[in-house]
Amino acid sequence: MLPKKTSLAIATLGALLLLLETARLARPFTLFEVLDFRPSDIPNVEPLPPIPVSTAPITASKRPIIEPNLIDPHDNLRAFYLALWRTELGAPGAITRVLHYGDSPVTADSITADVRSLLQQHFGDAGHGFVLIAKPWAWYGHRGVEVQGNGWRIAAATQVRARDGFHGLGGVSFEGDTGASSRFTLAEDHALMEIHYLHQPGGGVVAVEASGQRLGEVETAGPEKDPGYQAFPLNAGARQINLSVERGPVRLFGVSFERNTPGVIYNSLGLNGGQVQVVVRYFDKPQWTEELQHQHPDLVVINYGTNESIYADYIERYYPGELRQVIESVQAAVPRASVLIMSPMDRGQRDSNSRITTVPTLPRLVEIQRQMALEMHCAFFNTFQAMGGEGTMARWYDSQPRLVSADFTHPLPAGARQVGVLLDQALESGYRQFKAREQRRPN
Amino acid sequence: MLLTTAAYFSFLAAVFFGYWLAARYRLGALAVVLFANYFFYARWDLVYLAIIPAASTCDFLIGHALHRSTRPGFRRLLITLSIALNVGLMASVKYLPVLPWVLPLALSFYGFQSLTYTIDLYRRDAKPAESYLAYLASASFFPTTVAGPITRISTLLPQWSKRELLGPQDGGKALFLIGLGLVKKLLIADFLAETLVNRVFDLPKLYSGAEVLAGVYGYALQLYYDFSGYTDIAIGSALLLGITLPRNFNRPYAAQNISDFWRRWHISFSNWLRDYLYFSLPGLRSRWKVFAYLNLVITMLIGGLWHGAAWTFIVWGAWHGVGLAAHRGWQALHGNPKLTLTPGARVLCGLATFHFVLIGWIFFRASSLGSARDILYQISSGTISFANITPAFVAVMLIAAAAHYTPTRWYDGGLQLYCQFPYYAQAAAIAALAVAIRYVAGSGSAPFIYSRF
Repeated sequence: MLPKKTSLAIATLGALLLLLETARLARPFTLFEVLDFRPSDIPNVEPLPPIPVSTAPITASKRPIIEPNLIDPHDNLRAFYLALWRTELGAPGAITRVLHYGDSPVTADSITADVRSLLQQHFGDAGHGFVLIAKPWAWYGHRGVEVQGNGWRIAAATQVRARDGFHGLGGVSFEGDTGASSRFTLAEDHALMEIHYLHQPGGGVVAVEASGQRLGEVETAGPEKDPGYQAFPLNAGARQINLSVERGPVRLFGVSFERNTPGVIYNSLGLNGGQVQVVVRYFDKPQWTEELQHQHPDLVVINYGTNESIYADYIERYYPGELRQVIESVQAAVPRASVLIMSPMDRGQRDSNSRITTVPTLPRLVEIQRQMALEMHCAFFNTFQAMGGEGTMARWYDSQPRLVSADFTHPLPAGARQVGVLLDQALESGYRQFKAREQRRPN
Repeated sequence: MLLTTAAYFSFLAAVFFGYWLAARYRLGALAVVLFANYFFYARWDLVYLAIIPAASTCDFLIGHALHRSTRPGFRRLLITLSIALNVGLMASVKYLPVLPWVLPLALSFYGFQSLTYTIDLYRRDAKPAESYLAYLASASFFPTTVAGPITRISTLLPQWSKRELLGPQDGGKALFLIGLGLVKKLLIADFLAETLVNRVFDLPKLYSGAEVLAGVYGYALQLYYDFSGYTDIAIGSALLLGITLPRNFNRPYAAQNISDFWRRWHISFSNWLRDYLYFSLPGLRSRWKVFAYLNLVITMLIGGLWHGAAWTFIVWGAWHGVGLAAHRGWQALHGNPKLTLTPGARVLCGLATFHFVLIGWIFFRASSLGSARDILYQISSGTISFANITPAFVAVMLIAAAAHYTPTRWYDGGLQLYCQFPYYAQAAAIAALAVAIRYVAGSGSAPFIYSRF
């Protein structure tokens, strides 16, 4: 015996929903779903391959290894590969220097920390590289170096910009009066630290201490504004470095940590909200050029695009021109360095059917980057494709463990590691290919 | 098969018609329910078809032996066996997977319900099930499988013998609860989670202090609407078959103190902890009053650990245990001043209790203690930016908060109105809801938070 009213209500509801489904107003559904005994409500995602971490020395392979996501038809990475080769041979002072510019993931040293660690495992560790004076964002961080700063007026190129455009190598300027200070705690010993600052009329003095011992001071007064650098040797065991402004005002940009051993220095230069237009519009070009030249980089990685990827009109009208200007600036500043355009990762959004899909304009932006890299004789790493192309963030979000944050944009540590490994594998396989080719070449 | 999917509602409709067509014959109705229960489990994983009947049969036999036996030693052995079986089942599915794949559905709620049966019989608080079929149908009753409410089997068993047909009032209430559950889950909880909460808890350092704080408030509402939404659907589903399940929530964020909170939040779980764990711990009858306080902390620590073997849950359990013990101590010294409080003082007590609970939720939701520390650090940083807080998020938060504090009589009025609708209007209202969900909901059907416990 059926309960009349409720039975009628349920039957009517069923009929209405069928009608709505026919009119595509309700969620698409087939009765077969009821009989589907697979656990389809639990994300059913192919497990991602484990991350291979090889500690074996890299040797030349007889056959060149094809790396489909690293495009370098003009042999632009030659300078980088030659530097790596010298480093691998262990010649004194053979340090391979990389500058990796990027946006928010790089700000937290995501991706770059993994590439750094893998390259240093294989080619030697020549030091951590560049670190900002304080944390402009809570999100800022570097694996292996703890930074704490107090009393600084922070001007990041993406936010409260320095009026003169002097943002140093890392895109952030720190201005401090007497009493402002910073503390760097290193996980490992380094042999040298170099302070990046601005000479300026009326500039003050910064005292430098390492593990309680005064190393000296930095006098920042100068006749005009220009970048200054002062190096201090660090003794074994000196892992706590303090900078304090003894007389203000001073403007600092960062500190570099190095070792006196052959190896790789992989500088992570991330800006929250970073975009090519920030570099074009808000970096003082001569000052940035000088900063780049001072680094003597073997490779400059330009890894922007995520923040631009949602502005379809901007991408079509202005992005190619601004990307070109950034590449031109780098090539003009450090003509002997290799330049690698690294595409953004996939970026997801919910579509009208509640599925996580790739932001529609992202593939177009990646294509513009690829074309621009070819045109400007740069190398190009297609991160988007290497990760798996469209829909990757949906898979990453559903995977166990999850690889991307709920914004479908920022990778979680395991996801960042995957991207870091992909870039490292591409660079190292390209290097093997290069070595094999060079060794086959008749003398 | 999540309780918010079209597949579930098609299944439920089929069970509804099958059950009531067979209802004239008790055996037939029970067979329909049992088939539905095992079908529901099988949709999660076929291996449950081996586990559940075997475990239920063991408990059924243990129950009868407990009832018949008068030897204390033997009875203790039997109850130990039942506890080992059910706790072992919960733990092995959750912590020590013996199968080469992970089972999608934890068996916690099944285990809790089964234990109510054998422990009640051990204490001689209930009578054993006369019908094997009725026991199997009660122990694995599908609406309570995913996340409760934890229902004493002794309260389910007599309901299978009822002869009354489902009245229009109960039928209307069932549909109303299912609709309400869908709104809570898909339009509020999932929206809050997708828009800000999940992002903030994933990478708190990426957001300003104000955004993180908004995310934490959002989580408090998300968790309530997610879990109580599930409960509404479960209670409504059972009611469609004429079965009444216990209430699980009673406006918990209106609680005046932490003890009051636990009388309003996940009521079936806190009752279970009180009746089957707290009262079983040693020392309650001793002259040492400290045991009463200590046992509260131990009970909540175990309650925390049940959610997962992580420090975050231990901290959450300890936080509530210490809070409950402190409140009991305060009451012992000052009595219960609830009735003498002014309206202003009541608001202050409510706010203080809510924020005490809120701090606990940070640990409950955070992926690690480090992440919880980052969240607290970001909130205390005082940084202010609202770039990631959308007007829609604010609107849903306000609606959700206001709905939570809506007077009960308004809710009852809405329910009565819906029940008085003619059948076609009841159907049309839910169909309109389906369309709204199609266009407004932030996501598909994310798993219920409590299904993983």
